[in-house]
Amino acid sequence: MPAVSLHGITKRFPGVVANDGVDFEAAEGEVHALLGENGAGKSTLSNILTGLYRPDEGSVELYGERVEFDSPRDALNAGICMVHQHFRLVPPFTVAENVILGDTRGESGRFLVHPRHIERRVAELGERYRIAVDPRARVWQLSLGEQQRVEILKALYREAKILILDEPTAVLTPQEAESLFITLRAMAAEGRTVIFISHKLHEVTAVADRVTVLRGGKTVATVDTAESTTQSLASLMVGREVDVATRVPREITIGGPVLELAGVGATGDRGAEALHDVTMTVRSGEIVAVAGVAGNGQRELAEAITGMRPTTAGTITVDGKPLKGGDAREAIHAGVAHVPEDRLHTGVAPSLSIASNTVLKSYRGAQIAHGPLLRLSAIKERALSLITNYDVRTSGPNVPARQLSGGNLQKVVLGREFSGEPRVLIAASPTRGLDVSAIETVHRYLREGATGGMGIVLISEDLDEILALADRIVVMYEGRIVGELDAETATKDALGLLMAGVTEPVA
Amino acid sequence: MNNSILVVVLASAVTYGTPLLYSALGELVAERSGVLNLGVEGMMLVGAVMGFWAVQTIPGPGPLVLIIAVCVAAIAAGLMALIHAFLVITLRANQIVSGLALTIFAGAGGLSSYLGNDLNLADAPAKHAFGAFFPHSMQTLPVVGPIFFEQNALVFVAWLFVGGVAFYLARTRPGLNLKAVGEAPAAADAMGINVTRTRYIHTVVGGAFAGIGGATFSLAITPQWVDGLTQGAGWIAIALVIFAFWRPALCLVGAYFFGAFAGLPFTLQARGVTVAPELFQALPYVMTILVLVTVSAAGARRRLGAPGALGTPYVREER
Amino acid sequence: MIRVERRLEQPRWLSLAVPIGSLIVAFVVMTGVLLVTGHDPATTFRRLFDSAFLGSAELNATFVSATPLLFTGLCAAVAFRMQLFNIGGEGQLYVGAIFAAAAALLVSGVPGVVAIPLMIAAGALGGALFALIPAVLRAFLKTNEIIVSLMLNYVAALVLNYLIFDSLSYWRDTSSPEAKVFPQGKPLPDAASWPLSHIGGLELPFGLLLGIVIAGVVWVLYSRTRFGFEVQVIGDSPRAATYAGMRTRRKILAVMALSGAIAGIGGASQDGDVRHLLDARGLSAAGYGYAGIVVAALARYNPFAVVLVAFLLGGIQNAGYTLQGADFPSGLVGVMQGLILFCALGGELLIRHRIRFERRRPAESVA
Repeated sequence: MPAVSLHGITKRFPGVVANDGVDFEAAEGEVHALLGENGAGKSTLSNILTGLYRPDEGSVELYGERVEFDSPRDALNAGICMVHQHFRLVPPFTVAENVILGDTRGESGRFLVHPRHIERRVAELGERYRIAVDPRARVWQLSLGEQQRVEILKALYREAKILILDEPTAVLTPQEAESLFITLRAMAAEGRTVIFISHKLHEVTAVADRVTVLRGGKTVATVDTAESTTQSLASLMVGREVDVATRVPREITIGGPVLELAGVGATGDRGAEALHDVTMTVRSGEIVAVAGVAGNGQRELAEAITGMRPTTAGTITVDGKPLKGGDAREAIHAGVAHVPEDRLHTGVAPSLSIASNTVLKSYRGAQIAHGPLLRLSAIKERALSLITNYDVRTSGPNVPARQLSGGNLQKVVLGREFSGEPRVLIAASPTRGLDVSAIETVHRYLREGATGGMGIVLISEDLDEILALADRIVVMYEGRIVGELDAETATKDALGLLMAGVTEPVA
Repeated sequence: MNNSILVVVLASAVTYGTPLLYSALGELVAERSGVLNLGVEGMMLVGAVMGFWAVQTIPGPGPLVLIIAVCVAAIAAGLMALIHAFLVITLRANQIVSGLALTIFAGAGGLSSYLGNDLNLADAPAKHAFGAFFPHSMQTLPVVGPIFFEQNALVFVAWLFVGGVAFYLARTRPGLNLKAVGEAPAAADAMGINVTRTRYIHTVVGGAFAGIGGATFSLAITPQWVDGLTQGAGWIAIALVIFAFWRPALCLVGAYFFGAFAGLPFTLQARGVTVAPELFQALPYVMTILVLVTVSAAGARRRLGAPGALGTPYVREER
Repeated sequence: MIRVERRLEQPRWLSLAVPIGSLIVAFVVMTGVLLVTGHDPATTFRRLFDSAFLGSAELNATFVSATPLLFTGLCAAVAFRMQLFNIGGEGQLYVGAIFAAAAALLVSGVPGVVAIPLMIAAGALGGALFALIPAVLRAFLKTNEIIVSLMLNYVAALVLNYLIFDSLSYWRDTSSPEAKVFPQGKPLPDAASWPLSHIGGLELPFGLLLGIVIAGVVWVLYSRTRFGFEVQVIGDSPRAATYAGMRTRRKILAVMALSGAIAGIGGASQDGDVRHLLDARGLSAAGYGYAGIVVAALARYNPFAVVLVAFLLGGIQNAGYTLQGADFPSGLVGVMQGLILFCALGGELLIRHRIRFERRRPAESVA
C-alpha cells in the first residue's frame, strides 16, 4: 500500500491548467523524485498535497485512506511537511520559535510557550540528522543553507511521515547537496516518505529510488532510477530526444576588454560587505560565467556593474571609460545591458503594457520622446517590431507584461536590451524558471550576442548551463572571486570545491 | 505638595494618557497581525457615544451599568473595526484608504455624530461616571494621592491590559501565531495557522480596545457626550504605536508621556503661565516624526519592531 | 465557498460600472440606516438632492463646496498614482491658505490681476514646501510618508490655530476691540477676491475653473510625457524604475511637491473664492484633505473623474450644511461619504478580480 497516492488530480488557474489528471504514488521508506520542467505542474501538485490548494478534480489517499485537505493544517496533521523553494520561515523569530510554529501536539501544543525545552529538542534533532543549527539564532541571521536545515528540522520535530522538498539544492553547493542527500536517505531508511521535486536529472538519479515524470501538467511515467539514465529521463521530461546541456561550438573572436572591474567592493542589503576586492575583465566576444551558490555576492555584483548598487571601493570601466558607479542611467549610456534575475519585477514593470516595457530604457531618447512629450506611435511601432523580431507570443503590444509567460517575458527583456546595442550584457539567471525550448532560445541569443562582439557576463547557479555556454568561469564565494577556470577543462567537482570556498588544491 | 506643578502634570498625564493607552494597545494588536487601521479616531468616537448611551439608558446600579457601558463601547467599536477587516482582509482593499474611510464614516461629522444626535445624548450630564477608585483618605496622600489614588478604575484596568497584551505576545501560542501572521503570513499559513481568522480577530479586538479608549473620555474624563469629543486622540494613538516600537510596555510609557502634553496647557493656564497650547499639542506628532526619522536613518535594522507584513494583504492562491 | 481570482483582463466597462454600482449600493445601505433610525429615506434623499443639485443657487453652492474637494482630490490622485501615499492634503491646504493670505495681505493695494496670480503662486509654494517634508524624508531616509504626512496635518492645523487664536500674528485681525475678543483673520483686500464666472445663471468660482484646468494638465502630464511615464513605472515597480535608470528620488520630490502645490492652491482658493480671510476654524472643521482622498479613490485616481466625483460629493457636503438642523439627521454626510468609499473600495476588487462561487466540495472524480 502506497504512503501517498493521488488519482486524476486536476487544478486550473485563470488561463492555465496546471495539473491535468495527474496520477502519483510514493511508497513508505522511499525517496521518490518528482521530475519535470518548470511549469510542468510539480509545484502545484505538491501544493495540493500540502493543502495549500484544493484540487478541482481528483482524490488524495494517504496509506489507503481517502483524505480531503481544506487547509495546510489538515495536511500537517496528516503528517505531511513541505520544504518550499522560498522558505516559509519567520525571519525575526528564533530557530526554535520557527520550529514550533503552528505545532499543536504535546509539549509545544500548550497555550504557554516555553522556548528552553524546545531549544534542547531542536539541538538534539539537529545532531542526530547531521543538520545542526543554533536553536537560539534568529532566522534572518542564517545563511540560506542553514535556513533550509531549519525547514527540515520543522518536519522532523513534527515527526512528519511524508516530507516534500521543492528544488532543495538551488541554494546549496554540490557538496552540501551530497550531505542533504545523506540526510534524506537516513529519513527514508526510518520509514518516512521523501518526495524530492527537481528538474535536475543528475540529482534525481543520485538520490531517488523512483521517479515520476510530469510534462505539461500530466503524468508521463513512473520509473525506477536504477533502470533509467539521465538521457532517458530527459527525453521523458521534455518529450523528445534532447542533448543534456552540451557545449555548442561557436566561432569565438575575442577582442579588447569591454568591462574591467578593479578592486570593486559593495555592501549588501543588510549593510554587511557583500563584494570584496572583485577584479575581473571581460573582453569583447566572450562569455564569462560567474558561478557560485546563491547569496555569495552574485546579485550584488550584477547590481554594482549595472549601477543599481553603489560601489564602496574600486573602479568599473566600460569600453575604456570609468563609471562613477551607483547610477543605472550612467551604466546604460555607457553601453551596459542587463537581464536581471527578477525579470517580472525588475526587468519589466509588470502592470504596464509590453509597449511601455519596450521603451523602459529608451523613453528618454529622441526617437521616442519629443522634448518632454512621448511619441506614442513610435512606442507602438517599436513594440510591434520587437514582438515580430523576437517571436513574442502575445495578442498585442497593449497586453500587460505580467500576462506573458516566462519565456516570452524574457524575450521582451532580451529584445529590449539588445536594441540598445550594448557593449556588455549582464545576464543574471537568465533561464531560471523557463522551459527547455525557451532556455534554448535564450542561450541562442546569448551566443549570438557574444558572436556579435558583446562581452557577456553570465551569472548562474546552474552549473550545466555555465558549462554549456561559458568561455571562462569565475567562482564567487562570500563576495570574493576565489578562482577562475577555463570552461573547456572545468569539472563540476572542481567548481563545487571552489563554490564551497575551498581554494587549496585537493590531493 | 500635591499642588506642585510636577504632581499635577503627572496626574493629568495619567488621566489623559489612559484613553491613548487603550487605543494604542488596540492598534498595536491589529498592526501586529499586519493590519494597519487608521480608523482609530472614528472607532473611539463610536465607542464614546455608545458607551455614553448605555450609561444614560440602562437601568441598574452604577458600577454594573458602567461595566456594561464599557462593554457596549467595545462591541460598537469592534463592529466598526469589522468593516475595515472585511474590506482589507477579505476584499484586499488599500488599508490606508479604508482606514481613512472608517474615520470619515464613523468619526466626527459621521456615524458618531449621527448617533449622538439621534439618541439625544448631547449636553446631558452623565447618570453614572467613573470616579476615583480608592477611598478619599488615600487620595490626600502626598504625591501618590493625586497621581495614583485619585484615578478611576479604567486607569488601573489599562495596566492589566498592558500586562495582558505583553504576556500574550511574548509567552503564549496564539501570541506567537499572531506575530508570525504579521511578520510572514505565507510562513504562518504553511504551518497551518489561519491567517485570515487571526487577522480578523485581532483587528476587531483592536477596535474594541479603541472603543474602550473612547469610552474613557465619555465615561470618565469629560464625562458627557460632545460631538468630536476625542479631539484627535485617535491619531495620537496611531503615532504612539510607532513611538513605542510596537511594544506594549513602551506604549504605557509613551501614553503617559503624550498624555502629559494633552494636560499641560490647561495646568499651565490655571497657573497663569501663558504658553501657546498648540506648542504642547504638536509635540506628540513632531516627536513621532522624529522617532520615525531616527528609526529609518538607523538603516540596516530599520524595522525595529514594525511587523514585516504591515499593510499588505495576504493572498494564498494567486499566481 | 467564495473564491477570488485575479482577472487576466479587465473589461473597460467595469471601470465605469463599478463606481456607479458602488454609489447605488451605498445609497441602498444608507436607506437601511435611515429606516432603522426612524427617518424617512425618501424625504431625506429628496431634500439632500434638492438642496445639492436642483436650482441655480443650490448648484452655485455646490460648486463652492466642490472646489476644495477638486484640489485635494487631485492632490491625492497625483501622489497615489505613484504609490506615494500623501495623505497630507489637509495640512498642505492649510499651509497654502496661510501663504496665499500672507501674499494677499502683503501686496494690498495692487489690482486683482497681480494679487490673484501671486496668491496662487504663494499657495502652491506653501503647499509644495510643506509636502516636501515627508518627501525629503521618504526620498533620502525611506521614512514612511503616510505617517509623516498624517502627523503633519495636525501640526499644520495647530499652526493655523496658533496664528489666529493664540498669537497676534500678521494674519490676525487686531483692528477693533471685538476682533481682539473674538479672534479671526484679517480681512483680505478686495483685489484678492477671486472673480466669479457667470454662465447662464450659474456662478462658477475661479478656483473651480482653475482646478479643472489643473486636472487637464495633470492628465496630459501623466499620460503623454516622459515624466508621466516615469511616474507610471515607479508606481508599478520601483525596482524596474531603478533598473531603467530613472531618478526615483527626484521623482518622489517632484510628485510630492506637485501634489502639495495642488492642495496649496486649494488653500489659496479658499482664501480668494470663499472666505476672504485666513479662516482657521472654518478650514480645519471642513476636513477637505481627507474628503479629497475619498474623491481620488472613488475616481480611481483619474484626474477627469476627480472633477466629476468632487462635484458629486461637493453636492452632498453642501446639502449637509444647508440642511443642518433639528429635523435633518446630522452626521449624515460623513456616513454617506464613508459608505460610498467603502463600496468603492469593495468594488475595486471586482475590477481587478473575478469572484467565483463554488460548492464546498469540488467535483468528485470517478474513482
